[in-house]
Amino acid sequence: MSAPLTHYLILSALLFCIGFAGAVGRRSAILVLIGIELMLNAANLNFIAFWRYGPHPEALTGVMFVLFSIAIAAAEAAVGLALVIATYRQRRTTRMDQLDTLKG
Amino acid sequence: MTLSLDWMIPLIPEEIVIIFALAALAVDFAIVRRMNPAVRWRVIGATACAGCVGAMIWIGRATNYGTSEMLALSPLTQFIKLALLGLALVVVVLSLDARFTRHTGEYYALLLLATAGLMLLISSENLLMIFIALEILSVPLYVLTAFDKTREASAEAALKYFLFGSVAAAFTLFGISLLYGMTGELGLGAIAAKLRTQPVEPVCYAALVMTLIGFAFKVAAAPFHFWAPDVYEGAPAPIACFVASASKVASFFVLAKIVIDGFGPIRGGAAWNDFRAGWMPVLAVLAVLSMAGGNIAALAQTSVKRLLAYSAIAHGGYALLAFFGNARQMLPALLFYVITYALTVLGALAVAGAVENSANGDRMAAWAGLGRRAPLLAVCMFIFMLSLAGIPPLAGFFGKFYLFTAAAAGQPHLGMLWLVIVAVGASAISLYYYLQVLKQIYAVPPPAGAMPLRASRAALFPIALLAALVIVFGCAPGWLLGRLSAVLNSSAF
Repeated sequence: MSAPLTHYLILSALLFCIGFAGAVGRRSAILVLIGIELMLNAANLNFIAFWRYGPHPEALTGVMFVLFSIAIAAAEAAVGLALVIATYRQRRTTRMDQLDTLKG
Repeated sequence: MTLSLDWMIPLIPEEIVIIFALAALAVDFAIVRRMNPAVRWRVIGATACAGCVGAMIWIGRATNYGTSEMLALSPLTQFIKLALLGLALVVVVLSLDARFTRHTGEYYALLLLATAGLMLLISSENLLMIFIALEILSVPLYVLTAFDKTREASAEAALKYFLFGSVAAAFTLFGISLLYGMTGELGLGAIAAKLRTQPVEPVCYAALVMTLIGFAFKVAAAPFHFWAPDVYEGAPAPIACFVASASKVASFFVLAKIVIDGFGPIRGGAAWNDFRAGWMPVLAVLAVLSMAGGNIAALAQTSVKRLLAYSAIAHGGYALLAFFGNARQMLPALLFYVITYALTVLGALAVAGAVENSANGDRMAAWAGLGRRAPLLAVCMFIFMLSLAGIPPLAGFFGKFYLFTAAAAGQPHLGMLWLVIVAVGASAISLYYYLQVLKQIYAVPPPAGAMPLRASRAALFPIALLAALVIVFGCAPGWLLGRLSAVLNSSAF
């Protein structure tokens, strides 16, 4: 007896909200990045749950999307960390509120 | 089992661009690494040019159209790809005299990969493909924005661009996942068919709004515009040109495809006395916020690149007006507008880049007396600014004219007239700040002892060409519009 679909959806919605709160609330760029990863993974969880409980689980659409999305998230994380390092080398900080050269 | 490569044939233009991206890396690594920078940039730039031109020639000759579950090739998509490759070519040429990095091969390779992402985005018919293409476009752009290691602003702008972009992408992904759950489909046509037959649940509207956030970010519509001024100012000038022109054309086209093909059945309404849930009210809110916010914020700018960024936000708002037109009118009007706008803003940012190179900054003071220090650049900037402000007979005027008439006539009883009135009022405000720049160029005398500004030929030639195109499309708008209508009629959009 497995849990009904709604449980997965509530979990993923919660994950998404926690990730979003982290992305907009945190000051450290690294923690913002973690928040973004949580948001992406919440969406992945949705895909898997919808695929598993959907009318056509043999079509594998949801799984395929998740595979691509994990690969893309990895590429994004790599680029994101590279940008954090590039900024840190110049400014000696990763805090978003101290990155204020550009404003107006 | 035989290995069939037939599936690769429709994608040959994209493949040409990707192969030349790898070739740029290989040429840099194997041949020109030890040569002096001028030769190196020219050789690798020529490789990148060859990639763009090769893909353009192939597209011009190929006539195999068709639609699959994932991709569509129609005269319309091919026409837009040609326009995008043309814009990319201008950016490649503009980069030739850049000296901000020693990583020439990587720079051009990433630029071409982003171009390949743009082309894939145009052809995508499926939300999976659209998401992948969007990321193939975005990830190189984040890196390219950070390429200018000589300035602190570059990495900072890239980090902000990346963080905003990733949050927007996460929203889009979550929206797509909900849409997949509600309809069980990912193809745009299949989603529309499901939305038409089954009752539309409230979750679908949540999915709609979340999906649109990613595209609102890409076209820099307020309130998802915060990255734009930073990127325009911080990124290397050619990259700012690319983000402002090619990336915007493609994003608007895909946005149109998604809302019309995919979300057609949940259109809703945004007419004066007829607000109904759907994408129309969402886009109407974005349009009003962008037009008002962009124009008002632009008034306060002292950096010309930031001014152009806020004006770009406002122009994004005008372009959203097209979505309220009827199906036949809206797409030619939208595409005419975004293509001519891309040419104009590309030229204006290129001039800003040239001024910045010589004056160490693009504050208003750096532009003083440009009319005497660099007459040709000044005349081109004059044309670009007036076109952005929408003065006839330049391309910007007809772009706005077609948009506003399409929006006003699109709904019964002139329902969208209120939005058109807002847009006309907003463009009246915009005249003020465009004229401020022109005042600096022509009315303010140059500082004592200022030298004439010498721009390289690699910058002057494309800028002059773009200015000429802005005049030509302004004097004879019928050609481009007719061409767009023709390719549209022979496509299945």
